[in-house]
Amino acid sequence: MNDKALSASEVTFTYHGGTVPALRALSFAQGRGELVGIMGGSGAGKSTLAKCLNRLIPEFEGGDFHGIVMLGRARLNDLRVCEAAALVGMVFQDFEAQLFCTSVELEVAFAMEQVGMDRAEMRARLAPALESVGLPGFEHRDPTSLSGGEKQRLAIASVLALRPSIIVLDEPTTDLDPEGKAEVFALIAKLRQQGLSLIVIEHESEELLQADRILLLRKGELVADGPPAEVMTNFDLLNQCDVHQPGLNRVLHLIGIGGHAASVDEAYEAIVRKYPALRDAQRVRTLPPAPIESGSTPTAPLVEMENVTFEYPEQGKSALDGVSLEIGAGDFLAIIGQNGSGKTTLAKHIVGLLTPTSGRVLLEGRDRTSMRAAETAREVAYVFQNPDHQISAESVWDEVAFGPRNFGFGEAEIEKRCTEVLQAVNLTDMRDSDPFLLSKGERQRLAVASVLALRPRLLILDEPTTGLDHREQRNMMALIQELNRSGIAIVMITHTPWLVAEYARRVVLIRRGRKLFDGSVQEFFAQDDLLARSSFRAPPVTQLSRRFGSVALTPQALADWIRERG
Amino acid sequence: MALSLYLDRGTMIHRLHPTVKVISLFVMFWSVYWVDHPLSMIPLGIFMAWVAQYTGSWKNFYRYRWFFIILVFTTMFAWMFFYRQGTRLVHVPLIYISRMSLTFGFGRGIKLAELLAASVLFLSVTRVEEFTVGLSKLGVSYRVGFAISLAFRLVPLFIESAVTVVDSQKLRGYDFDKGRLFERLRRYVTVVIPVFMAALRRANNMAMALEARGFGLLNSPSTLIDYPVKPADIVASLTLFIIGAGYFLIYYTGYGAIRVS
Repeated sequence: MNDKALSASEVTFTYHGGTVPALRALSFAQGRGELVGIMGGSGAGKSTLAKCLNRLIPEFEGGDFHGIVMLGRARLNDLRVCEAAALVGMVFQDFEAQLFCTSVELEVAFAMEQVGMDRAEMRARLAPALESVGLPGFEHRDPTSLSGGEKQRLAIASVLALRPSIIVLDEPTTDLDPEGKAEVFALIAKLRQQGLSLIVIEHESEELLQADRILLLRKGELVADGPPAEVMTNFDLLNQCDVHQPGLNRVLHLIGIGGHAASVDEAYEAIVRKYPALRDAQRVRTLPPAPIESGSTPTAPLVEMENVTFEYPEQGKSALDGVSLEIGAGDFLAIIGQNGSGKTTLAKHIVGLLTPTSGRVLLEGRDRTSMRAAETAREVAYVFQNPDHQISAESVWDEVAFGPRNFGFGEAEIEKRCTEVLQAVNLTDMRDSDPFLLSKGERQRLAVASVLALRPRLLILDEPTTGLDHREQRNMMALIQELNRSGIAIVMITHTPWLVAEYARRVVLIRRGRKLFDGSVQEFFAQDDLLARSSFRAPPVTQLSRRFGSVALTPQALADWIRERG
Repeated sequence: MALSLYLDRGTMIHRLHPTVKVISLFVMFWSVYWVDHPLSMIPLGIFMAWVAQYTGSWKNFYRYRWFFIILVFTTMFAWMFFYRQGTRLVHVPLIYISRMSLTFGFGRGIKLAELLAASVLFLSVTRVEEFTVGLSKLGVSYRVGFAISLAFRLVPLFIESAVTVVDSQKLRGYDFDKGRLFERLRRYVTVVIPVFMAALRRANNMAMALEARGFGLLNSPSTLIDYPVKPADIVASLTLFIIGAGYFLIYYTGYGAIRVS
């Protein structure tokens, strides 16, 4: 009996019109029931590899394909994508684009219908598929009314119904809030326990610590293939591959223990074995002093929201419910909350895209509700989550000059501003490039540059790191931090716990349109009950520090704390 | 923003066979096509109002209320430039205002509004899956039928995307309300590229996801839901036949036309 669920041999692929192979002679095998994680930076070839496994490459995205992909004893090379669908299930990052039907049960049945399954068999498979993903009772719900996590679980149910031998999940949690992310990874763990073979592509290393094996890709080459304990402790290699170093392993390394911790519990046990005195550490109620931040000190309020309530006309319920908030010049604020909690609605009130149903928004003391969106653009800038919603010019330079031109600045002034901001975002060399040919990280930086050219005093960024690899995320955050140091107030809407922990100075938590918390990052992560209620999760390093009664926001801070007290 | 117009009310009209629903859309279009006089469109309007009331679809009409109003009045106004018959009531440069031109323009506006109303009603009571089944039963290939029905689902997504793009340009000081009408329309050109790019990306992602779920394997896939022909379908078909034939008769006898006064 062949104990391999899947094997790829010498897989090489060059996209049509490309000169450099996206995958180079890549070989690996996956045992039955194994959970294999694939990691790597942008352009490493992760998604390309995933598409090779279900024939989307080269059937759908053309190019030069070589190599052999075997599913058990079956050779996939000769199949069409639709024929491979029943053997290899595929779940994509964009959950909106993979739901086509008007009810949950029809969505689950879609793939079964395509293979011509009879009605009785479809009905028999429907309930177990929904049961597996925790969506029983949702049969008649409209998929568009589900939360992000539910949508992604539905997408998984729809491939599960075909009972494939293997499921490939391509960054399934990128657009999800922490709760949605947790739901999907809990489901992945459950499916793994049931013996299903799974391949998960992820940016965030913490999520794959419990995988059986990790494949690390760089520029289309497989540079590591081994258990997490081996791959996730090779920090140099992770760095070279633009992969986030797992915080827990980093802490163990910094305090001289080394090795791998697949969970907070494991890390805790490893630490108290070396520092037994810490085992009895009482949970302190007083917080350690907040770290000294390098941003400028908040001064007079730039924005004041007074008891703002807002209802979308068609929804009949409050998207914002009596929210009051002050943002000072030089602030660095993270707005967090579940998908649909009202974060973006709140930000749109600040920039003037929405007007409160009741309450006021003041911008430097002036009632913003009486100002048009264009009027506030020079004071408050907004960078959308998807940079492609912003970009419309034919060159990087014209894109940056778009705003200043709208305000009628002279050419000399435009030249000065564009040069300045392109330098700040490190895109000077690309000034004549077509924006749509830039990488996602570069387009994101261009979107920031295009609003910075107006020299705003407040910059609002909606999920500024979505879809970026670790290096790009760090670069983007370094840019944002630098802007904050120069005096620009930052409001960052994010789902990513470590960004909040490492970069923000203040947290505003929104839940169902209400402000639940407004305070320092350390105070926020010290409130375990609030975290549980808000479904927001602290980064693993901070969770670990809470086990010792501290609130550490970075691996270095926790390592220092342990060395000092241990 | 709700992405679908379908309202799951479970009325008898909701439960009609998909083919009957597709035929009903065709009959509505057919009926409106043959007549020009606004009075001749009243019976169809009353019938559609009854269907809207019975199926609880007024909510969707309310969503598009301004579109209906603008459609009727801009059409009426536009025809004053081109329809130059009847005794002129008032002398205004460029446009021709006569009882006939007003009647004709209003009739055209109502015609377009009834076409839109028929579409809104159809989408209020028909799931996109039923649309696909209905088209397939009428001989349209499954792939084509699916693509047509999917397009209905995509339109609201593209509108949503366009709204975001407009917002992002406004926030960089771009004033869409500046200048006269044509200047304003020209300013919306900046929206086209980002929306087009977003549409291409989404369409590409969707096509990949479809293929990965087995789309295209069979010319005639099975369906989870059984659609048996029921007595209500026969009654509805007969009613639609009477409406369609009645409107052809109105056209044939000349009652639906606007006569030169």
